[in-house]
Amino acid sequence: MSSNEWAILGLTLRTAALATLLIVPPGLAIAWLLARRRWRGKSLVETLVALPLVMPPVATGLILLQLLGRRGPVGGWLHRTFDFDIVFTWRAVVIAMMVMSFPLFVRAARVAFEEVNPRLEQIARTLGAHEWRVFVTITLPLAARGVLSGLLLAFARAIGEFGATILVAGNIPGRTQTLSLAIYNFVQLGRDADAFRLLVVAVVIAFAAVWITEAFLRRRA
Amino acid sequence: MMCRLLLALLVVLPLHAAEVRVFAAASLTDALTEIARDYENRSSDKVVFNFGASSILARQIEAGAPADLFLSADEEKMNALVARKLIDPRTRVSVLSNKLVIVVPRRGGKSITDPRQLAQPRIRSIALAEPSSVPAGIYAKKYLQSLGIWSAVAKKIVPTDNVRAALAAVVAGNVDAAIVYRTDARISKAVRVVHEVMNGPRISYPFAVVADAEQPRAARRLLAHLRSQSARDTFARYGFDVIQ
Amino acid sequence: MSIILRDVVLPLTDFTLEVSLELTANTTALYGPSGAGKTSLLEVIAGLRDARGTVELHGRDVSRLPPRLRRVGYVPQDDALFPHLSVRQNVFYGAQVREDAREHSAIDVLEIRPLLDRSVKKLSGGERKRVALARALLSEPEVLLLDEPLSGVDVALRDRVLEYLVRAREEFPVPAIYVTHQMEEVTAIAEEIVVLERGRVTERRLL
Repeated sequence: MSSNEWAILGLTLRTAALATLLIVPPGLAIAWLLARRRWRGKSLVETLVALPLVMPPVATGLILLQLLGRRGPVGGWLHRTFDFDIVFTWRAVVIAMMVMSFPLFVRAARVAFEEVNPRLEQIARTLGAHEWRVFVTITLPLAARGVLSGLLLAFARAIGEFGATILVAGNIPGRTQTLSLAIYNFVQLGRDADAFRLLVVAVVIAFAAVWITEAFLRRRA
Repeated sequence: MMCRLLLALLVVLPLHAAEVRVFAAASLTDALTEIARDYENRSSDKVVFNFGASSILARQIEAGAPADLFLSADEEKMNALVARKLIDPRTRVSVLSNKLVIVVPRRGGKSITDPRQLAQPRIRSIALAEPSSVPAGIYAKKYLQSLGIWSAVAKKIVPTDNVRAALAAVVAGNVDAAIVYRTDARISKAVRVVHEVMNGPRISYPFAVVADAEQPRAARRLLAHLRSQSARDTFARYGFDVIQ
Repeated sequence: MSIILRDVVLPLTDFTLEVSLELTANTTALYGPSGAGKTSLLEVIAGLRDARGTVELHGRDVSRLPPRLRRVGYVPQDDALFPHLSVRQNVFYGAQVREDAREHSAIDVLEIRPLLDRSVKKLSGGERKRVALARALLSEPEVLLLDEPLSGVDVALRDRVLEYLVRAREEFPVPAIYVTHQMEEVTAIAEEIVVLERGRVTERRLL
């Protein structure tokens, strides 16, 4: 692999790792709320969380572009107040990855939490544990398998993200060009050999991710 | 008796109307749409467009996409297809030229009084069509190289799939500047032209009929119309320079 | 009057639980056929289920308090030992004192010291019961709720486990409710019996 290709891989892995890390706190929180609590408007939250999974990724990307662009509600404020740009930078890559893999993680974590026997949490409460302690010592460890496989799934989704990324972050070599965007770019430029080399890299990563997940789950079973 | 004749004519006429598929450079979008509407009123043919970057269109034709006419934004793309015998070389003709301009957003755009200022750090992003393949980007890169600022500017480039996407980035205010065709800048009120490139690279739009076009006769008819005075007037109105 | 229930109402699947009780005995047996609502009543007292009415423990109105503030020790029918923690971690989960303090008489009364470093999965039925009870006792509850402590234990070993329970009651005489549908356990351990049928108290007498 050329140094350019290592750079593309590095950018992809760094942004995907950061995106995955950032969705953990809100993802766990929402998954837990969906698993353990009922409230008015719960189905609205469920639907909103699932949207990026079901909508065409470019449509999601367009929404992000409107929100985060220099004239958008969020991007505009950041640009005016801090001279801070999101679109066409690595930050947009991370945000696109976060939005697209969030529903996958929440889904997996929610199922994992639902499978924890609520009786165990109840007993912990009678033994004097407050909610946070119950979550950290009982719920989360017992749901760890499902949560971790959800995390790996989210990471893989982040690496493969294309549609939303290309709209909101652009295909800028060295800045926002992830693995998927680079493959697309090489195809557009007619550089098929380069495209195929990156394709092999993508397959190897996907293979490794699934293999590791399966091995991990087998071990804990 | 008259009714039956009329009915027969109505059945037969649509069979003669051809659908001409035109693959055209993105910068020609507005002018061509107007010309085609007028053409469809005069003739019985229909025109169907596929607008995009000439590089992408050429790849599509190479891959066998059905096209009757190819209207490219640079000679290289046409040359490549001629070399692969995908173009009827007898029909090839270069009709139009264009100029490059540097644009900034009209609202809140930074002030640029000299093109070399693009190298300054305060200009953080410049949108161009993909400079290694799309004609508009290739022309723009040649221009920036001729100014001696390409290496300073290269890391600020936001490459887009075609020239209209570069324009859109400026319209939305998401980049500080873009280099597009004069004709692109004219169609949007949301951008301001800060410099028109007078001695830039030679821009030329070759038109030709595709070798295994499904509608070669209709394609030739349309091509002839594109060279007519009325079409040239329309192109000129949109800001194109007319060759010949 | 350690445990007082006033107008506790809880709709269940087939009937409504409606109980008003003032328990004075130290160990009260809650007796009745399965499905009578005994477990649900324990859950209301522990704060694990919301019901209308008032629950008072040692003069404190705990009706609006979450389980962790009620100081109730609950040993459910299925033990509910934490499968991912060791016996030691289970037993000390609610303990107020530090793990390595020597004086933990519940551990010695129930003779589970040799079990401490074992995995929860490797315990026999009787051992599980003792560990669950020790865990509840170590949280220093003011009220103890035992839901069919001998269910799931081999008939042959019942007497032994019952012995442990009796000893534990002697060492830790906090007011307790002991749910069962076996009369022998009632006579062995309780001072009063309350009979619950289809959500209502139908009989009550001292033993």
